[in-house]
Amino acid sequence: MDRRHFIKQSTFISIGGLIIPSSFLSSCRKETLFEDIKYEGKIIIIGAGAAGLYAAYILKSKGINFQLLEADTNYGGRLGKIDGFADFPIDLGAQWLHGKNSILGDLITKSNTKITLDNSSEKYWFNNQIINSLPNDINSIFLKEDNIPDISFKDFAIQQGFNNEYKYIVENIAGDSGASASMISAYWKIKEEENWVSGDDDFKFQETYFDFIDKQIASAVKDKIILNTIVNKIDYSQDSVTVTDTNNNTYQADKVIITVPVSILKLNDIQFIPPLPSEKTIAFSKIGMGAGMKVFLKFTNKFFAENIIGGSVCAAYADESIGKLTNENVLLAFIMGEQAEYLTALGTDVAITDALLGELDMMYGGQATASFIASHVQNWTTKPFIKGAYSFSTVAMGDARKIATQSINKKLYFAGEAMNINGHHQTVQGAVETGYREVINILNDIKR
Amino acid sequence: MRKLLLLSFLLLSYISSSAQEFKIDASYEYLYSNQWEKAIQTYNFSRPFLTEKQPLIANGLNTSISYILKNEKHFKHGINLTYAYFGSSAENENFNNKINLHFVNLGYILHYENDEKWKGLYCDLIISAMSSLIFRTVNGEAFVSDETKSKAFGIGSNIHLKFGYYFRLKNKSYLSPLISFAYTPYLYSPNNEAVINQTKGLTSKNWTGILTTQIGLSFHIRQ
Repeated sequence: MDRRHFIKQSTFISIGGLIIPSSFLSSCRKETLFEDIKYEGKIIIIGAGAAGLYAAYILKSKGINFQLLEADTNYGGRLGKIDGFADFPIDLGAQWLHGKNSILGDLITKSNTKITLDNSSEKYWFNNQIINSLPNDINSIFLKEDNIPDISFKDFAIQQGFNNEYKYIVENIAGDSGASASMISAYWKIKEEENWVSGDDDFKFQETYFDFIDKQIASAVKDKIILNTIVNKIDYSQDSVTVTDTNNNTYQADKVIITVPVSILKLNDIQFIPPLPSEKTIAFSKIGMGAGMKVFLKFTNKFFAENIIGGSVCAAYADESIGKLTNENVLLAFIMGEQAEYLTALGTDVAITDALLGELDMMYGGQATASFIASHVQNWTTKPFIKGAYSFSTVAMGDARKIATQSINKKLYFAGEAMNINGHHQTVQGAVETGYREVINILNDIKR
Repeated sequence: MRKLLLLSFLLLSYISSSAQEFKIDASYEYLYSNQWEKAIQTYNFSRPFLTEKQPLIANGLNTSISYILKNEKHFKHGINLTYAYFGSSAENENFNNKINLHFVNLGYILHYENDEKWKGLYCDLIISAMSSLIFRTVNGEAFVSDETKSKAFGIGSNIHLKFGYYFRLKNKSYLSPLISFAYTPYLYSPNNEAVINQTKGLTSKNWTGILTTQIGLSFHIRQ
């Protein structure tokens, strides 16, 4: 054998010697989790919000038997919309996509859904006048990652020298997290968002967030949703789990994914048999869930700025028509925490609207009342199956969210935005992540 | 600056004068990493809307340059610089997702050959520092979040065992088929999962171990 021949042969043998085993190894390695799993059991999902819908969507894709029980008259949870108030559909609940680097960002690109970057500018109501920028930069103190004490935003702002004149500016910063400044922890807010990777840019849907979830996810599982089913008892003492609703209908399942808002768990609206371990209920109690409402105000004139921060009745007003195909003038009053509690206590939508118009009149010299057409109040606090805005990090909460998330006896699994321990709590994408995470947890438990 | 240039020149002159062998490798590389595998498997599992699944990061190309210094004994040593690229691409309607993974290693090479006993066979042991860069492109463009490219860097160490067999081509030039195995016990790359699955801490740890094997050819110039 000459040298050239030998080189050729040995090269071919070597390549074959590696590529054949490599191809074999590649074929052994699965591209997706649980590619071959067959599960004959039944899974019940309680709550058809973003987490429940996505869990259902995944189960359907895997051919697993499931049922989705929803207490309300419609699915969507804290997503919702209203048509007819203006010439564009309005998001009653979640409306901003917080960053595109998420599973929903991928779905938006895949489905060619139209979104717009919300780069609207802010003005401030400060010392009874509207100003373009604050005398001192207060936002940056809440972004520090080191040496933040476990005290409330309110106390931390005071500690950093921001006195009472910044009170409602701080309320606005806390309100972004659905909380009162006196309740949310400066430390745990930063700590819990360490894993936030979706991005800081906010986007608005040309239609609504609800439409997007409805078309892309809910439409695939609608036939499995039973609406108006208020679950009030979950018995997991036997081999299978029995779920009972307020009409005494019972549903049997092998596994249950509970995706209700944490407020429902905190208030014990669902009775568990046997009772949940105390560390679990303590964990629920440590996760914050503040009051929240959105009020939409329609005017004949656009007298208002794109964002007005710092009102004593509402700390955050935003021009709702930004990013929408409209010529109408709709202002959103985004009200969280103590301000939402105060407005809720006024009792009627008219009283709430009057309070907001009063504040806007003060800011804009009576223009609000003069050009007011109509309002729509969406009070999430008084919604019987929601009871609040979204979860937030409380002082001394520690690992509460991690404990709250843990499954029980391989039968009960917990999902929803409040159960996201990967930094995306308070968001729709965070809820979606927990939806598929809990399906993974169930399938892992079955595999074991 | 002048001192640095002078020092570099002297160092290069020394290396050139003392080099016994210069070689360039080009090879196909097969990779296994449990953490990246989990991240891609979770990505595929969680996105039923993507019919074309994202392939695992497995097949790549590797090229390296080694400079082996003169020594009368069977053991010789030198420096090695390696670059490797791995890609994973899935084309779906409106959504062509590609994960690009680059490695650069710089390390020490210990070369062994013994013509009397091994007859042209040689063995290299390479211990190197490794750095990695992973990023994704969507529909042919770098994926941008908050006006910055979504990417993750990694740093770790690598141990690499390579076997080859010399065939003389011309006077000083040789060609050798090679086969090699490498292990990266620890590559710290905290944002890998954020690039692959858009989450952090959900599918994997901040670090990964990597196993690779290669097959290829090496071109040598020997003094």
